[in-house]
Amino acid sequence: MRWCLSFFLFGFLAVVNALSSSGNRLLVVLEDASEKGLYSTLWSDLKARGYDIAFESPKSDQLSLFELGERAYDHLLLLPPKSKGFGPSLSPKNIVDFLNKDGNVLLALSGKSTTPSAISSLLLELDLHLSTDRSSIVVDHFNYDTLSAAEKHDVLLLQRPGQLRPDTKSYFDGEGVLALPRAAPHTLGDNILAAPILRAPVTAYSYNPKEEAAAVEDIWATGSQLSLISTLQTRSSSRFTLLGSVESLQDKWFTATVKAPGSGEETKTVNQEFAKQLTAWTFKETGVLKVGKIEHHLAQDDLTAEDLNPTIYRVKNETVFSIEISEYSYDKFVPFELPAEDALQLEFTMLSPFHRLKLDPAYRTENSTVFRTQFTVPDQHGIFSFRVNYKRPFLTTIEEKHEVTVRHFAHNEFPRSWEISGGWVWIAGLWSVIGGFMAFVAVWLYSEPASAKVKKNQ
Amino acid sequence: MAELPLNSLLKGNTGRNTRGLLRIIILGTIAAAAVSSRLFSVIRFESIIHEFDPWFNFRATKYLVQHGFYSFWDWFDDRTWHPLGRVTGGTLYPGLMVTSGVIYHILRFLTIPVDIRNICVLLAPGFSGLTALAMYFLTCEMSTSPSAGLLAAAFMGIVPGYISRSVAGSYDNEAIAIFLLVFTFFLWIKAVKNGSIMWGALTALFYGYMVSAWGGYVFITNLIPLHVFVLLCMGRYSSRIYISYTTWYALGTLASMQIPFVGFLPIRNSDHMAALGVFGLLQLVAFADFVRGFIPGKHFQRLLTTMIIVVFGVAFVGLVVLTVSGVIAPWSGRFYSLWDTGYAKIHIPIIASVSEHQPTAWPAFFFDLNFLIWLFPAGVYMCFRDLKDEHVFVIIYSVLASYFAGVMVRLMLTLTPIVCVAAALALSTILDTYVLASPGPNPKAKAVEDTSSEPLRSARKPDVGVTSYLSKLVVTSSAIIYLLLFVAHCTWVTSNAYSSPSVVLASRMPDGSQHIIDDYREAYYWLRQNTPHNAKVMSWWDYGYQIGGMADRPTLVDNNTWNNTHIATVGKAMSSREEVSYPILRQHDVDYVLVVFGGLLGYSGDDINKFLWMVRIAEGIWPDEVKERDFFTARGEYRVDDQATPTMRNSLMYKMSYYNYHTMFQGGQAVDRVRGAKLPAEGPQLSTLEEAFTSENWIIRIYKVKDLDNLNRDHSNAVAFDRGHKRKRATKKKGPRVLRTE
Repeated sequence: MRWCLSFFLFGFLAVVNALSSSGNRLLVVLEDASEKGLYSTLWSDLKARGYDIAFESPKSDQLSLFELGERAYDHLLLLPPKSKGFGPSLSPKNIVDFLNKDGNVLLALSGKSTTPSAISSLLLELDLHLSTDRSSIVVDHFNYDTLSAAEKHDVLLLQRPGQLRPDTKSYFDGEGVLALPRAAPHTLGDNILAAPILRAPVTAYSYNPKEEAAAVEDIWATGSQLSLISTLQTRSSSRFTLLGSVESLQDKWFTATVKAPGSGEETKTVNQEFAKQLTAWTFKETGVLKVGKIEHHLAQDDLTAEDLNPTIYRVKNETVFSIEISEYSYDKFVPFELPAEDALQLEFTMLSPFHRLKLDPAYRTENSTVFRTQFTVPDQHGIFSFRVNYKRPFLTTIEEKHEVTVRHFAHNEFPRSWEISGGWVWIAGLWSVIGGFMAFVAVWLYSEPASAKVKKNQ
Repeated sequence: MAELPLNSLLKGNTGRNTRGLLRIIILGTIAAAAVSSRLFSVIRFESIIHEFDPWFNFRATKYLVQHGFYSFWDWFDDRTWHPLGRVTGGTLYPGLMVTSGVIYHILRFLTIPVDIRNICVLLAPGFSGLTALAMYFLTCEMSTSPSAGLLAAAFMGIVPGYISRSVAGSYDNEAIAIFLLVFTFFLWIKAVKNGSIMWGALTALFYGYMVSAWGGYVFITNLIPLHVFVLLCMGRYSSRIYISYTTWYALGTLASMQIPFVGFLPIRNSDHMAALGVFGLLQLVAFADFVRGFIPGKHFQRLLTTMIIVVFGVAFVGLVVLTVSGVIAPWSGRFYSLWDTGYAKIHIPIIASVSEHQPTAWPAFFFDLNFLIWLFPAGVYMCFRDLKDEHVFVIIYSVLASYFAGVMVRLMLTLTPIVCVAAALALSTILDTYVLASPGPNPKAKAVEDTSSEPLRSARKPDVGVTSYLSKLVVTSSAIIYLLLFVAHCTWVTSNAYSSPSVVLASRMPDGSQHIIDDYREAYYWLRQNTPHNAKVMSWWDYGYQIGGMADRPTLVDNNTWNNTHIATVGKAMSSREEVSYPILRQHDVDYVLVVFGGLLGYSGDDINKFLWMVRIAEGIWPDEVKERDFFTARGEYRVDDQATPTMRNSLMYKMSYYNYHTMFQGGQAVDRVRGAKLPAEGPQLSTLEEAFTSENWIIRIYKVKDLDNLNRDHSNAVAFDRGHKRKRATKKKGPRVLRTE
């Protein structure tokens, strides 16, 4: 009875946890409790998706990201602070530690206030750069909302982003118009882990409303060099998203009606939908890959359990490698589909790859795709590894490395004697010597010496 | 005179039996002494495998016992030379392991459960007893005196030159190889003397065993042909030589080719060409001898001259063509370094870096051989006196081995047997002369009878010569004193110089008690218990076998040194900056790096002292990236203190050695006790490695290689961030911004 109950509870927990693939404890840090109401739709959306939201003020004493050395929360949503920073418990080092321990962070900035230098130095570690004055906003005279920012042109109207590159998947696309009021821009450094989600239009530029004399000589970045929303996915696949405009998450902009210059048509924003996509991705509800079974074995028909994943192969063996990958999509695992332009590759490596092969989808189960390839082990003994190294923006990292030993031919695995045609000469020589010797012995034994005869006669 | 009961035992047939029994007892005692004098290390320390190579042999033996002979034969070792692996079964001399394996299985069959480790530890002492026996047989072939054999056996049993490689725990190929060497020579002498196929075949059999046991078999391969060649040149061709040599060569070569590591070397390698050449020469000589019976002398001379010129011309041209075309391998580097002691230092630093490949210091001869070394020339002279075939062998062996022992320290081992033989010949001659020489039938009375007809002065004063009791007393007692001193010396050398396992160090406390420094095993067991079974450990190659044996972790390089490039890679990683080393470490899947540091204890065999070899070996492969000159100061000094060159201070080895070292000296200045250097107050910083373990006396330091930074930063930046240094905003670059294309 008891274990029935625990099973029930377990199943219930599973249902609750199902929403994010990495836990549901979400900490929202906002300085002013009164501001909480501004984002009520967001909170209720998140709660509806199963998050267990805790609100803390950065000044609070109990606020700690870690408890007994473990993460106390799975996800962190930081709203821009009004004061100089987030305080000691949310120092850049703590946030980096939180990322290193597989926590996900969504950091929202606002162009209304100056971004604290602590945040700037945190972003610097991630190779995301804010403008030097840290209080610029993005202005665009072609893509602004004529209803709310007819004067200042600082509410940007943008299409939702599509595919970043031909080989990536898109998790933020869709119809409709996004409104990003008073966005703080940033640029991306060379860090390969960072990827932009939404860039500013080519006509945008960054502008500091507090400095009247616009520093035209000192242009920091313009147009699509400016990024409005960017992400960094660490090597351990924890996610950090930087959102330039916190206001776009407010209830007001979830339901706002906007009108682009020129078009004359009033449309509703899709901010709510986009906020769902953004939080879902950051908190690992989408774009999460899971590797299931990895199997490699000799290419033969009758396989037993012992034949699977052997630790040792011989040179020139015909080998089959397969890997099962599923992708998490909101609440369930689905078979992973490669983007059309992309390929999943297997490397057979010792110091450098001896083979780099395309893994083809072989078959599909209910929630996974099995990729497979077959190849001949190179004629080189050593300690090789099967490597699948699949790193794409917006998808969690697949880095699989399975060591196997490739041995030389054993002494009894070479062709022998008669099978080597080149050896026939020697075999013939051998037997001719033996035959000759036998013949000689026979002749010797059965031929009486002449002298003996003479002796006998005498 | 009443017949003493003792006399009846010493005369006639009974006497022979008594002497035989005595001889057996003496030989048994000698063997026991040989075994027991090698047990110092077990008594002082414990039953442990010594040094470096024995650890591999031990590991291989365990593999053999565990997996059986055929998987040992085909063994591909994936736990050394990561990631290349080693075809171990085909690249070792299996004789030693198979011998212990056979002993192990015999003991098991007799229901005596003995741990394989104890068999391995005690194999060398056991075989040294057999060596003494073989020595007895060999020397008995050389001399008619019965005492020579016994003396040689006794010498061989305790001479330090042989003990140095055969104390308990020194489980190396030499442990059985010296026995096989001596016994093969005994069989060869026997074969030459008797001209019998049986003895020749037995020689080949033991030669085959020797080939399976030690690379030094080449010594036999060249010495026996040389012996035959010299005999031919002396005009001593006989059917005995023909039979014994051809039997030995044919069977022995076939036997040696059965060892995978040797394979086709006997017909392709220059080192073995002498044996083949002499084999051919012998056929020609035999043929000439045969023809001589049919052709008159004058014609024969002409025929012989033409034949010799033609054959040698053809053979020489053939050899040159085959060598140039690569069918016959040129002489190996180790062989060259035997002739030119400077060769290895220039061309193959890896060989020169091994201490036992250094030329021998002269005192070492006396240290290892004591008074045998000055009896040795006398013994060789004795051989010249009655120059039979076997004495020619002793002379050739002496000359060659003396030279080789002077060139390389470790070849002292091959010199030792012949020194024992020669010294025993000399000493037995002395003793026989003085002890057995009888005064003659009442010489005084004879002298009185006929004084005028005695021309010799010695005969006139017979009491003064060899036969006088005084001279007998003086010579025998001094010989006995020398022998006693020899025993004392051998015991002292064995106990003080050759019985340290070198895995465990012993030192004396101020009060005289023994203090054991066990850092090596401490560190290896730390690795064994705290790291994943597959964690790759990088260290300098000296420690490879020990890590494989004691820590049971895969290593990058080890004492096998078959791949110079791989060793140079490790040398490069050790001698470069962290930014250069880290990609190398990543590429080779290194998880831990192990260094030996003796600075705290004053242990001089540490990695900083070996460091220049790493640099040299790396420079041999990457002369542009690693330069030995950069590690010396402008004045050409090798320093580690604050005068050290930047290259030195930034090298991974330096950083790993001195990382956190200054924290040991609270406030005071850190001192390196090996090099007597005061170290800079600020210790080196490591960013790509983190300290994982440091042993009690800091001899072994183990570092873990960090993973790539989770945020893809430089390790130095990440470490600076963790320490709380704020990163400065990237300074504005000149030129246009680089746009990200995606």
